[in-house]
Amino acid sequence: MNTVRLVAENEWRLMRRSRVAQLALLILIALSVIATLTSIAHRDGNDALRARFQAQADQEFDGQPARHPHRMVHYGHFVFRPLPALAAFDPGVDGFTGSTIFLEGHRQNSANFGDVRQSSLLARFGQLTPAFVLQALAPLVLVFIGFGVVAREREGGTIRLLSAHGVTAQSLIFGKAVALGRVAALMLAPAVAALLWLTLMEGAPVVAALGLGLFYAVYLAAWVLIIVIASSLAREARTALMVLLGLWATTVILVPRIAPDVALTFAPVPTRLETDIAIQRDLRRIGDSHNPDDPHFAAFKARVLKQYGVDRVEDLPVNYRGLLAMEGETLTSRLFDDYAERQFAAERKQGAIVAAFGLVSPAIALRNFSMALSGSDLDGHRRFLKQAEAYRFDIVQRLNRLQAEAVTFGDDSNRNKDPEAGRRVRIDPKNWHDVPDFAYRGATISEKLESALTGAILLLGWLVLTGFGVRIAIRRLEAAL
Amino acid sequence: MTTVPTTAPRISLKDVALTRGTRPVLRGLSLTVNVGEIYALLGGNGAGKSTTVAALLGFLKPDAGQILVADIDPVENAERARREIAYLPENVALYDQLSAYENISYFMALSGTEPSREAMDAALDDAGLQPEARPLRIGGFSKGMRQKVAIAMAVLRDVPVLLLDEPTSGLDPRATADFNALVTRLKARGTAILMVTHDLLGAADCADRIGFLAAGQIVEEVVPSKGMDVLALHHRYGEVAAA
Repeated sequence: MNTVRLVAENEWRLMRRSRVAQLALLILIALSVIATLTSIAHRDGNDALRARFQAQADQEFDGQPARHPHRMVHYGHFVFRPLPALAAFDPGVDGFTGSTIFLEGHRQNSANFGDVRQSSLLARFGQLTPAFVLQALAPLVLVFIGFGVVAREREGGTIRLLSAHGVTAQSLIFGKAVALGRVAALMLAPAVAALLWLTLMEGAPVVAALGLGLFYAVYLAAWVLIIVIASSLAREARTALMVLLGLWATTVILVPRIAPDVALTFAPVPTRLETDIAIQRDLRRIGDSHNPDDPHFAAFKARVLKQYGVDRVEDLPVNYRGLLAMEGETLTSRLFDDYAERQFAAERKQGAIVAAFGLVSPAIALRNFSMALSGSDLDGHRRFLKQAEAYRFDIVQRLNRLQAEAVTFGDDSNRNKDPEAGRRVRIDPKNWHDVPDFAYRGATISEKLESALTGAILLLGWLVLTGFGVRIAIRRLEAAL
Repeated sequence: MTTVPTTAPRISLKDVALTRGTRPVLRGLSLTVNVGEIYALLGGNGAGKSTTVAALLGFLKPDAGQILVADIDPVENAERARREIAYLPENVALYDQLSAYENISYFMALSGTEPSREAMDAALDDAGLQPEARPLRIGGFSKGMRQKVAIAMAVLRDVPVLLLDEPTSGLDPRATADFNALVTRLKARGTAILMVTHDLLGAADCADRIGFLAAGQIVEEVVPSKGMDVLALHHRYGEVAAA
């Protein structure tokens, strides 16, 4: 048996006999198992609920009686974002962004401009999920179990005896790291089981699940090395403990709290109220379709009349009011899209600033990586908003087209004066059935990997950095022996 | 008091000079310990006794001179030299959470041997540790009991060199006598033993030679004999230690 393995086996035996280590590990594994079970149950329940609500909303839309198409535009429609299977492992921002949007004409879903989506708030969460247990609690428990692995040998004097029995600084440090790595592997086990379950039973993408398992292992490995380094460099075990607790509090608690505020300072996002006011101002600037002197809509009318070769809107083969609604929707949607894109850009900038803090906090790097691969990051939410908006625009324009093609201009103009006209403008409800249901397309695995790349690189960087730290610790320990 | 010539030494220090920080500790120290010989190195605090042991183990590098342990230079090859040495520090540091058997088994495995339970029992019998204590965690062991465990390790390793650093400090007279008897048994197996100690009486009881260390060098070497005037020797030691 080689020396590293002997040292590791002995340390593992000592840990098994330490009540503190046993208790700490037991609590963490219990938390991890509970988090896994509740997260899976929560996600499954939520997903089923959303699917049921979506089906209900679709049914209610389809079940509307004969109506004027524009009434249907304002009747609106609800869409729900289905939860990806891996959200059971890391729900990410789901609980903060919401997953339901009401779609109607002339206005984009307000979630696009909601204050709650500001990254500063989103980054401050700590639900009991497998991801949270591994990101925040596992390193803390590792610190408590491992702070003395080398320092205790030094304090107790066994380090000299070990050296006298041919144990080198390198084999001592490697052996301790292997033993602590074993503890980390035990901590990871429930999460790996959860990932396996989600892959086999709930159709989670294999590559994403593998990536999560692998990089959580990288994260814990980096912590194991950090702990062994601190324990080797500290003169006393309690010094190592204080240093490691400070490091944990800084990188897991403090920096993730500060980073979003820094991001908000350097990439401010207007509040919802500011955005609403700005949009109203710009809407007025676009023009008023009801005002015959409005330059934009006057030009539009002239263009339509010319296109159809007629002099009056009454002579058009289609309902001019429907065309007008389509044009108005196009303009307002373009404006909303513009604001949404600006908002998205600011959020992406905030996200990049927060991600850069992964240089000083592996917890941030892992969090971003984890949410990206789980499909529960802000990109995923933005994808939902974009698809919901595209769907809204499509429904509204379909209904506007129905108004233009299935309702005459005369009936539309007289629907409030002439009861017969009012009856005729209420078109066949089977038209509502022709409106396709909302089908959310989640990120592909390559898109997820692309989003997760920065976090992955930073985590690997941390592992390499701790590798250098280990070399320094070995040299320092060699000199001390 | 006679100076004794040494032959075939297992431990050899020749004109060793060693500085710790800015303080010269060893200043041309020369001594040898032969096969089956106990050499007691006595000296006052700061005379360089523990430094000598650390240098033999390769923990400290001398500025000048030559050190050989079983013909291996610990400066050049500390790891190989340590494989030839059994070392008992003043306070035997073992793992409190492990039993005597487990401690022995672990350290033996590190040295490349895996002794059977019978072999461990035989060594512990030699060392004088009661059988009922052997499966117990050594957290509750006295210093003497710990030393017995460490001695059992030395017996099992069957190495040519044994270094003892203040082995009897803190032991009661009975435990000291037991310990000296144990060391004498190891000597009979051919082990070269260097004992760093303050205990002149113990040294006179079991050592073949006693070296007085002062200011980093042997100032006097004596061979204890029956009927030796221990009081005079004690007086002389006091003078050396005070020098």
